[in-house]
Amino acid sequence: MRDVTQQAEPAMPSLPAPWRQRMEPWFFIAPSVLLLLAIGLYPTIYTLIASFQLWVLGMSPPVFGGLQNYVGALTSSDFLGAVLRTLVLIVVTLPIELLLGMTIALALDSPNFAVLRRLLQVCLVIPIAITPSVVGLLSQLMFNEQLGIINVFMRAVGLPALDWLGRPIAAFGTVMVVQVWEWTPFVALVLSAALSTVPTDIDEAAILETERWWPRFLDIQLPFLWPGITAALVFQTAFTIKEFDMIYSIERGGPGTATETAVMQIERTAFRSFDVGLASAESILMLVLSIILARVYIRAFYRELE
Amino acid sequence: MKSWGFAAAAAIACCFGAGSARAQAWSLADAAAPYKGTSITVVGLDRPSYKIAQALTPQFEKETGIHVTWNIFPYEDTLKEETLNFVSNSQQFDAILSDGIWFVNFADPGWVLPLSHFTSDAKLADPALDMKDFFPIWLASYTLGKTLYALPFDNYAGLLFYNKAMLKAAGFDGPPKTWDELANVYAPKLTDKQKGVYGYALQSARGETQTADAFARFMWPWGGSFINIANKTVEVNNPKAVAGIEFRHSLLKSMPDGIVSDDHSQVVELMSQKRVAMITEWSAFYTTLKTSPMAADLGIAPEPKGPAGSFSAFGGFAYMVSSQVDVQHQNAAYLFIQWLTSKAMALPLIKGGAVVARQSADTDPSIQASNPNLAPMVEAWRTAAVPDWRPQLECYPRFSDIVSDWGSRIELGQVAIKQGLDSMAKDLSATMQSSGCWGKSNDAEKAMRQYQ
Repeated sequence: MRDVTQQAEPAMPSLPAPWRQRMEPWFFIAPSVLLLLAIGLYPTIYTLIASFQLWVLGMSPPVFGGLQNYVGALTSSDFLGAVLRTLVLIVVTLPIELLLGMTIALALDSPNFAVLRRLLQVCLVIPIAITPSVVGLLSQLMFNEQLGIINVFMRAVGLPALDWLGRPIAAFGTVMVVQVWEWTPFVALVLSAALSTVPTDIDEAAILETERWWPRFLDIQLPFLWPGITAALVFQTAFTIKEFDMIYSIERGGPGTATETAVMQIERTAFRSFDVGLASAESILMLVLSIILARVYIRAFYRELE
Repeated sequence: MKSWGFAAAAAIACCFGAGSARAQAWSLADAAAPYKGTSITVVGLDRPSYKIAQALTPQFEKETGIHVTWNIFPYEDTLKEETLNFVSNSQQFDAILSDGIWFVNFADPGWVLPLSHFTSDAKLADPALDMKDFFPIWLASYTLGKTLYALPFDNYAGLLFYNKAMLKAAGFDGPPKTWDELANVYAPKLTDKQKGVYGYALQSARGETQTADAFARFMWPWGGSFINIANKTVEVNNPKAVAGIEFRHSLLKSMPDGIVSDDHSQVVELMSQKRVAMITEWSAFYTTLKTSPMAADLGIAPEPKGPAGSFSAFGGFAYMVSSQVDVQHQNAAYLFIQWLTSKAMALPLIKGGAVVARQSADTDPSIQASNPNLAPMVEAWRTAAVPDWRPQLECYPRFSDIVSDWGSRIELGQVAIKQGLDSMAKDLSATMQSSGCWGKSNDAEKAMRQYQ
């Protein structure tokens, strides 16, 4: 039998052993670090540099403009309005998604109605599997005042038809409904995964101890759910801040600017007005906001299991 | 004296003979021979004209040996894709598609070549190109200073589409001739909100639809305009423009409630489903409406007149050649554009549902008989259109964004009309000043004189 270890030894004869030992971990992580730098850090740094430049594509070459773009973004009613709408979207939809997601996760965890649970699991995948732009296009058709199926149902049950997309508040409400429909299954799956970490023996002991679901939920399941809740909050906030395709497909941020979120406003600045400098500054400000929100969630909700 | 006359006649005959010999001698196959095997990329839109152009392209490929790849984009993304192509010098596209409002952005920085670069080359220029056959307004729309940059393709005018049966049932024999008539005589009789039927619908979605369709349409016929380049003033809040936008607001009572969010497709669908009696839409939508459930009742007329006269919506496209690609690709792309926009191709294109700006084809009675959208479109281009329906500015994307933003707010009733137009004018003036845009604007109306 060949001694593989002995044969491998002469591969790097010139390197002294301590140096090789020190470098070995770096060689292992280098590919992923380099990849991360290339696809993650480089665009961020490029955006940061562009945010300090006065640069309108096709009109003039980029010139250093100091903090002008940041001042412009922070004093722009367009941008601030879009950020406010994004925050309202997060504040309203996130609790609803958590509540519905938690209910679905608990239903999936229940030992009863096995067939229904399996059906629910399949149904949960559908909204996640559909491309957001398709969700938007379907919603645009369904909520159309004249031709949409929603108003057909409303008229059928004797309710007046609503102008879902033509009025600013109703349009924003429609976007929220679609957002909740699209993302609640994701929250449910995350929380369901968190629930599966509850040790079976502890859970069974609790069931023997009390028939009431509330103490079992509060004292046994909730501590195991906190990491999942934190993850769902962080992810959902990021997803909502990034939400573009769905809202754009419904009505491009209209009517007026009623459904225009921050990322749509940034896209409009960058690729409709071609003001790359200002759009970069707005992107950096949104990145900072995302990091702050993530830190707040982790501080407020994350609990290590003891 | 007699001999001088003979010599002159002989010289003239010789020139004409040579010209005619050259015309006979020129062939697309010979002109394309040096470029055989070259692959060019052409930008197109997801619209009927480009579908038929794509279907006919194999003819060109067979005759020339030049391979053509179409890159189809939605209208909203095309300017972005082409601008990024130029800024990054990626040389992705050889034949550049330009809306009339984009071409200054492409021509001023030198990203595209003047047409004379090719037409002055006897090997490339088809003697049968016949520039005078293009409608003058379309050539003017692609002329920067005195230099022409593009050959028109996929060209529209705004038309009034109406449902003859609905109008007849309401007691009207023909379409309204004026906006006043449409709003005050026709629309009230045709609107029944209980039944969900409306007299008129105006596509008003945020973006270029709001600017070009919903805003400009009610400014020009009242005597308003966007800007005055000579005086460097923004005119959107002058009393005539205010009157036009006030009129638009008064029409809302005859339109469906959600109209502010409706784009072309929704308005055309409302008409198709006989929920709306009249719409003012681009001539290209004839192809969609003629196959809709209301096709048998479809009537087409020029857009109604306003107090200042006839002003039809004016918009469309043309092809240019990128200056960033190598000479081989430039020449191959020009040959393709020249072929696509030629007189010979006009008929098969129109038969396939395209709209072209060739006078010989668009005014041909036999072609007009089977395409009822052509006669009012020709009338609009000849008598009721202005080439600067939307201003040709290098900062137009931002300009349009401001118009669309305030235009939507006004239509939604979020701001009073005069106050909204004042704010629009203030924002437009600031943008024009800060971006140096007054110096980078093109007076297309001036170029009209060059072609008349």
